[in-house]
Amino acid sequence: MAPSGPSKKPAEDGPLIRAFFEKRENLLLFLAARTRCMATAEDLVQDLYLKLAALNDGAVDVRAPSALLYRMAANLLVDHVRSTQRSSQRNNQWRRETRSAIGGEDIVDEPAADEVVVAKQRVRQLAEAVAALPPQMGRAFRLHKLEGLSQAQTAQAMGVSVKMVEQHIQAAIRNLSQRLRA
Amino acid sequence: MTSMATDEDGVMAAASAWLARLQRDDVTERDGLDFEAWLAAAPANRSAYQRTLALWHEFETCADGVLAELAVDARRPASRRAPTRRWLVAGGASAMAAGLAVAVLPSLLAPPEPATYATGKGQHRKVTLPDGSVVDLNAETRLSVSFSRSARRVELADGQAIFDVTHDERRPFTVEASGRIVRVVGTQFDVRSRQGDLRVTVAHGKVQVRPSATAASGRTFLLTPGQRLEIGRTGVETLQTVDPQEALDWRTGRLVYRAEPLANVVADLNRQFVEQIEISDPALGEMPITGVIVLDDQAAVMARLSLMLPIRSVPSQRGLLLLRK
Repeated sequence: MAPSGPSKKPAEDGPLIRAFFEKRENLLLFLAARTRCMATAEDLVQDLYLKLAALNDGAVDVRAPSALLYRMAANLLVDHVRSTQRSSQRNNQWRRETRSAIGGEDIVDEPAADEVVVAKQRVRQLAEAVAALPPQMGRAFRLHKLEGLSQAQTAQAMGVSVKMVEQHIQAAIRNLSQRLRA
Repeated sequence: MTSMATDEDGVMAAASAWLARLQRDDVTERDGLDFEAWLAAAPANRSAYQRTLALWHEFETCADGVLAELAVDARRPASRRAPTRRWLVAGGASAMAAGLAVAVLPSLLAPPEPATYATGKGQHRKVTLPDGSVVDLNAETRLSVSFSRSARRVELADGQAIFDVTHDERRPFTVEASGRIVRVVGTQFDVRSRQGDLRVTVAHGKVQVRPSATAASGRTFLLTPGQRLEIGRTGVETLQTVDPQEALDWRTGRLVYRAEPLANVVADLNRQFVEQIEISDPALGEMPITGVIVLDDQAAVMARLSLMLPIRSVPSQRGLLLLRK
């Protein structure tokens, strides 16, 4: 490999890029805990990859590629959460995702009538499962998951510690998974 | 309770704990590394986490609907509210997230169209048919449509399209491509027919694929969501399970590949960009690619490709030539 040719030669697969591809699925699952769907998590993984590619791997001294990968992933999450957390943002996001343009006209996509029925039944099922949670657990889940407050904001609203919120959320996830198991 | 059930409970509890821990406002690399170690510890951990994650995402998508429902519950026995407009929009979001069919408001439908639709290199086109069904045409695609009182027929001469079909039991919707007839009632699916190779992927609903009158032979298949049927020009039939959303991603300029030979990826790219890519030797074309390719501009796409595989591209007479690095 002679150092001739264009000065910006294509980067070779350094340890970081290799580690990325080995751990891609794990990073995806890590990020997906905080995104609204898998597709958004895929986008974040792609962002992570582009950041790595821009790092010029070969030139960076990477002793612990995994740690660096997860540090970068955690930073991406902070940015992502900051940009989507506010509840007004959540509505905007919906509007974006339920609209598409046909011939330049902005239109709203809506589900077909039979799917409305199915989706409606499922929403009722989900709501019933939440309503059946013990009161504190249900409140934590509702504030954090449904109303989109952070763990700290949820703790403040409930007057409990952040650690307690995490425990409530954990128990709620477990309870809901059992109740809603297909 | 058997020990196996207890184990499963334990795994689900751990998965819930992980999903909750990753919600921390200050999630760190330590969390990530510990999480990865847990995933690697047992295959059951990964699948348990994926199950809880799916439910977590479902709650995210349906959050407004669930909140509205809870508010109704709280006011019982007051009369149940009819679903509001806002609720319908939330339902639409969940339907889209799940890769379901999405109908378009009839009042905004495009006027009746000519019978033939075509796209050129790099073009995408969305067409609304007279019955409200929506077709997304990928690049270099040609199809013709003829509707009658009792049938909705589409002929896909060459190319790829996603069909969001409105429900009409009296008028089945058929797509004829590569000697097969794809028949549906109301559903969403992707059909790709290139040089006689046919691929049908179902996102929602049920789809029947059977040989057309011109086909020499072939079996009849009934496909369900997440199934992909491939029929090669030689007649080899393969049925596999895929993430239905992936098959629809090209609409948003994302190509998703799982162990796809480079030659196929290059063929896709050559339909999107004017500058044509050639592969220097056939063995290189066999190399598998896994990943997402975002179609923004060709230079960027080529740079990313060269990071996914040990390849580089050089300018050639006809466009670009791919070489081994």
